[in-house]
Amino acid sequence: MHSFIDYIRLYFIIETQYIKARMQYRADFIISSVGMFFSSLATLGVFWIIFDSIPDLAGWSFMQLVFIYGFYMIAISPMQILFDHIWQLRFHVQQGTFLKYYFRPLNMMFYYMSEMFDLKGLTQLAAGIGILIYASLQLHIEWSLVRIAFLLLTLFSASLVQIAITLLAACAAFWVIDSYPVLGLAWKLREFAPYPMNIFDGAFRFTFTFIIPLGFVAFYPSQLFLQPENVSPIIYFSPIVGIGLFALAYKVWTLGVNSYTGTGS
Amino acid sequence: MKSYLAVLRGSFMIGLIYRYGFLFNIAGNIIYMLVTYYLWKSIYQGREVLRGLTFDQTYIYVALGSAVFILLKTYVDWLLSFDIREGMIASYLIKPIDLQFYILFNSFGYSLMSLAAITLPTLILMIFVLHIEIPLGIGLALFPLSLLLAYLVSFCFDYFVGLLCFYTESIWGLSITKEIIVTVLSGALIPLQFFPDTIQKILFWLPFQAIYYTPLTMVAQPNLSMDTFLPMLGLQLFWVIVLFVFTRLFYNQAIKVLRISGG
Repeated sequence: MHSFIDYIRLYFIIETQYIKARMQYRADFIISSVGMFFSSLATLGVFWIIFDSIPDLAGWSFMQLVFIYGFYMIAISPMQILFDHIWQLRFHVQQGTFLKYYFRPLNMMFYYMSEMFDLKGLTQLAAGIGILIYASLQLHIEWSLVRIAFLLLTLFSASLVQIAITLLAACAAFWVIDSYPVLGLAWKLREFAPYPMNIFDGAFRFTFTFIIPLGFVAFYPSQLFLQPENVSPIIYFSPIVGIGLFALAYKVWTLGVNSYTGTGS
Repeated sequence: MKSYLAVLRGSFMIGLIYRYGFLFNIAGNIIYMLVTYYLWKSIYQGREVLRGLTFDQTYIYVALGSAVFILLKTYVDWLLSFDIREGMIASYLIKPIDLQFYILFNSFGYSLMSLAAITLPTLILMIFVLHIEIPLGIGLALFPLSLLLAYLVSFCFDYFVGLLCFYTESIWGLSITKEIIVTVLSGALIPLQFFPDTIQKILFWLPFQAIYYTPLTMVAQPNLSMDTFLPMLGLQLFWVIVLFVFTRLFYNQAIKVLRISGG
């Protein structure tokens, strides 16, 4: 067994080589980063346009939504940067090339995901940090050490939620072969994560809180900073939701990996 | 013409392979419609009219937009870049067919498949399950024609980005940038009336509105007069012609830099 430190060291070695290889295609990197930047700002643009006609959305001001959006962008970045290889899972499973990941004395999820490190995701992360700082200055949020610790903790669990949801969708590939439709649906749902959850009524709010907990990707944890005097107790469950959901996704991944029999060729 | 129809038939059939994906697509559309219902409900917050549109008009606009989204997405940029990278493009170039029309008919086949398998079921669910009432009027009668023109405009954008791959040999960034620009500026997500006035004025001179705004408005506000609709259709037709000519001229330039390795 390798220790955690071993894995981190190994990850750095693998990614340095990967980045060197990618840097041969510098134009592609630049164009992709620009594309990433635009695409991550689309929903924010929609909010901006809508606020030209209305003063608030379900009690939230534009700047508060900008804060939630910044949080969201940071929270989805680890998925984008570290787990981008997830999109190829269906091809590997279909073509049988997934078999190669069984043959190394490494954790399979680690080995599989380490094959890609999405550089353009760094643009998204940087934009998210910029937006979060900008909004918190505009909203005069006072940052204390405790708050910053809370921010990091909630961001960590929010990104686990996002990773887990996508992972669960991608794992469908082990059983139905083409998981793209499932993955596409999960990806589409993700766009709703920065919406204020209180616009939804019963059934939808329940779904986005307990079944597909998108609320935990941005909206619920953001309340800790936007209205600290009035947080609903559900927010304190956010680390449990993040870790619990990731554990579940990991379990499903393991089941999938163990049941995969290759393509026979 | 016969050979182009064969291409169309072929891609229609290929579309059938991805049968079970249809269900997820339809489910995705329905969820999107429900979510946007709540979103727009809270935007209107009991207000009767915003920017000259009632809630019902706006909602039909947005919901129908999500139902036709899959039709207006041609994926031509992705297919073309794939063919360029893999060298497949050479096998089209040696055939006695026109590349632009070949690709047009090919992608049109996929869109017809999506129409039958995704958009129509979505519309049926939208009307009979979600009980979204589509108002009748001349606009509704003009909608199919307008949608077809919208498709051709959208095709030109995608084809143009695909041709850019002759130069860049990378597609993700270009395609995603185009996608965002087109989706937002064409009014796919929000009716153009909601944009700030100055931006609206600029958008009027650009071709984006021909893709979503024009056909969706015909259904959302079908009782505007013919005097409003005919210039809208005319403008769409104008952009189709301009963009077709433009992409043809651009093709003649781009083909010169094409280098094929492999295939």
